Amino acid sequence: MEAGDKVWEVFVQKKSGLPFKHVGSVHAYDKKMAIQNARDLYTRRSEGRALWVVPTEAIVSVPLDKADAFFDPSDDKAYRHATFYDIPEGVKHL
Amino acid sequence: MKVTIENKEALWLLRLADTSLIMGQRMAEMCSNGPFLEEDIALSNVSLDLFGRAEELYKIVAKLDGDKFTPDEYVFHRNEREFYNIKLAEQPNEDFAWVIARQFLHDVYAKEAFSQLESSKNSDLAALATKVLKEIEYNLSHCKDWMYRLGLGTEESNHRLQEAVDHLLKYTSEIFNWDELDKANYPDCEKIESTWNNEVNRVLAEVNIKRKEVPELTMRDFRDGFHSEHIGHLLSIMQYLPRAYPDAKWS
Repeated sequence: MEAGDKVWEVFVQKKSGLPFKHVGSVHAYDKKMAIQNARDLYTRRSEGRALWVVPTEAIVSVPLDKADAFFDPSDDKAYRHATFYDIPEGVKHL
Repeated sequence: MKVTIENKEALWLLRLADTSLIMGQRMAEMCSNGPFLEEDIALSNVSLDLFGRAEELYKIVAKLDGDKFTPDEYVFHRNEREFYNIKLAEQPNEDFAWVIARQFLHDVYAKEAFSQLESSKNSDLAALATKVLKEIEYNLSHCKDWMYRLGLGTEESNHRLQEAVDHLLKYTSEIFNWDELDKANYPDCEKIESTWNNEVNRVLAEVNIKRKEVPELTMRDFRDGFHSEHIGHLLSIMQYLPRAYPDAKWS
């Protein structure tokens, strides 16, 4: 595409109540074209019933080279992990 | 093989089936030729919708006419004069504006036509109409959107859309030359024409495109199997394979 287009990230919701899931991206000149292109690329085979498009530039992300500082789980600091509880009987989904 | 159709309703329905098929074939020619990847896929989707619609319509045609032929046989084993699509459908993809204008002019007509067929006495057709209307709604919004982008875009895009509309409007008046079969199958033929005129006039005015006076074409009506020069080339490409290799099968 020529100057003026943007990249948009596409999120599809399989059914009402479930989270929106990132499925890919599209090029488009504006919101309306982005949602149409997203529909044509990502929802033709019953992938979902709701669609979001977000300009890629609007998404704030962690720079790759900062990943360690952001995400290191510090496994040596055991107190960060909630593992000291006795789980009562009958609790199934913890 | 000589494909023949005797049932009157089947003959009439062939007009809609052939129109969907030829629109679909023209749109399929855009596959890999779209202006950019996303639009290429969108146009191919429109084509798939049209082919799917045509196939379902041919099935109803076949059923009405005693299941003598399959949808494939209707598609691949008839000649030019045995096709009954509106001439608008066969007009070529001269440029992107032609593709969009053709689809727009067709979809506005198809929307009202299939809306009326939802109340058809033929339950197969009524059910199909309901299904098809959703597709038409989407395809129409897609090409209408482009009508606005092209008409109100640049001087160049407006100019190209105007040229496309000037050409294509030569082929639209025959759609509304209703005959007895049309009147027997549509609840309100006049409304198809007035709805089409209102919507086309409204959109053209909004997108800064003139609807010029179109001199009457001397060509005969599509209902009698008459065409513009373009259909032969289209059919030769579409029908080549099954005619050259009659035993070829999908594997």
